[in-house]
Amino acid sequence: MIPDYYEFRNSTKILSGTGAIENITFELANMKVSRPLVLTNKQLRSLGVADIVIGALEKGLIPAAAVYDDVPVDSSVSTVNEVAKAYAKADCDAIVAVGGGSVLDTAKGASIVITHGATDLMQYMGSEVLVGDRMVPFVAVPTTAGTGSEVTSAAVIKDTERHVKMGFVSYNLLPDVAVLDPRMTVGLPPRITAATGMDALCHAVEAFSCRQANPLSDCYARAAIDLIREYLPAALAKPKVQENRLAMANAALLAGVSFSNSMVGIVHAIGHACGGVAGVPHGEAMAILLPHGMTYNLGVVGDRYGELLLHLAGPQAYCTEHPADRGGAAIQAVRALNTMLHDKTGMPLTLSEAGVTEEHLPIIARTAIDDGAMAFNPRDAGYDDVLTLLRQAF
Amino acid sequence: MKRRVIAIVFFFLGRGFAACARLDSRVKREIGRWAEGTVVTLRVAPSGPQTSWSVRDGVFRHLGAREVEPTLLVTFKNPEGALPVFLGMKGVLQAFAEHRSTLAGDISLGMSVVRCLHIVEGYLFPAIMTRRILPSPAHREKSVVAAYALTLAVSSAPVFVEGGAA
Repeated sequence: MIPDYYEFRNSTKILSGTGAIENITFELANMKVSRPLVLTNKQLRSLGVADIVIGALEKGLIPAAAVYDDVPVDSSVSTVNEVAKAYAKADCDAIVAVGGGSVLDTAKGASIVITHGATDLMQYMGSEVLVGDRMVPFVAVPTTAGTGSEVTSAAVIKDTERHVKMGFVSYNLLPDVAVLDPRMTVGLPPRITAATGMDALCHAVEAFSCRQANPLSDCYARAAIDLIREYLPAALAKPKVQENRLAMANAALLAGVSFSNSMVGIVHAIGHACGGVAGVPHGEAMAILLPHGMTYNLGVVGDRYGELLLHLAGPQAYCTEHPADRGGAAIQAVRALNTMLHDKTGMPLTLSEAGVTEEHLPIIARTAIDDGAMAFNPRDAGYDDVLTLLRQAF
Repeated sequence: MKRRVIAIVFFFLGRGFAACARLDSRVKREIGRWAEGTVVTLRVAPSGPQTSWSVRDGVFRHLGAREVEPTLLVTFKNPEGALPVFLGMKGVLQAFAEHRSTLAGDISLGMSVVRCLHIVEGYLFPAIMTRRILPSPAHREKSVVAAYALTLAVSSAPVFVEGGAA
């Protein structure tokens, strides 16, 4: 399948493997950086994860000019503005963000404020609005293996005063360097390992089947799923083995490159709404909703799902399945993975188990159809369609 | 030439949207949720044409091609990317997926505008086109004749928004 037209960009340099963190200072020096701001959160400080990076900067003779460790669970405008102030106050010349999606999105927001001197981030909401070069060298060090935010052009930041969730999509938000080091994820608890892994899987599956899928994003999606099939169970069975963690970090990155260039669809649209309305953790929402979203889309992109069976279940399962049944079998493979994760980690299998109530469903449906991800789903979905899907997942 | 063709389509699309805001309950509901002061503009870079709609004082209006300060701006990068969309050869969402356009403003408002455009296209374009460009079969609450009549009859006449101030 070759699209009529597509665009693709991944300009982020990737450092992956043992000792990757110790190479950050070399990259900073290459970018002529001498006073980085380290952005992280208190939990990562207390666990000692962020201090691995801070210590490596000191040893590499480019110590942090300032450390901002007050990033909340959900990135907000006020935090972004505080980070921008801390950056200016300490006369910083780069951001090294150490954390999950929230920390990395905060760094992206702060880079907009610093670059454009923005007083109101709302001016920059939207898709492909930001123009000109980013003035802030940006190193992303993910501490989960799921969001792929270290290589994506998207950020979501809440305006808590105006109750607006602002979406930004721009190639200008791509970090300069992404650092995958197994020390960052080796201590993740099993349930978070499972949920973030399913987030990565969902990125890959949706990227492969949405409107903007293209031959390049397909390659990344297939490679991501191959790694997840092999290493997500391994990371749960042997969480301290660094190879398992590094492979999952690579899977999340590959899926991130894929969906940053072909976007995601109905599963993410509904999952975002489940998080906003009922507080369902993003990765768990993805795991619960993925088989239902695939079932909804099966009639339109069944052949594409069929191709993914090879990566989801392996060559033997692919070859023994009749071509017409491969799409359905791919959904069954996702369900089987969910069941395994539920048994091993207690991750919920239904929305009700995840804390969603019957009363939430219409609000979630209403919110989901306004989510930008819905624009890229291969099959149209209105309020009634989403409500039906939600009841099936309930 | 391409810009002229798009300007003509914008003329009818702009009026057609205003007509559907009177005729079709789904469009009424959508614009009823738009915030006071909303101005939506479709523009073709670098030099137009453009068309806009607004909600002000509880009234929805088609503003035509006049210069405005949009709160949501959809910009097609060039006439070549815009023409297939406005000639009914390519869907709005497909064009967005192909990066033919940019969107400045609240993406969720953009989703509402797209739903409205799909409904309006369902009235204005023949079935042979809508089958190709709409994500699901066109459903019309009123006749095409009524929609065309209103499109030709009303230009910038106000439409009172459900739940609006007026």
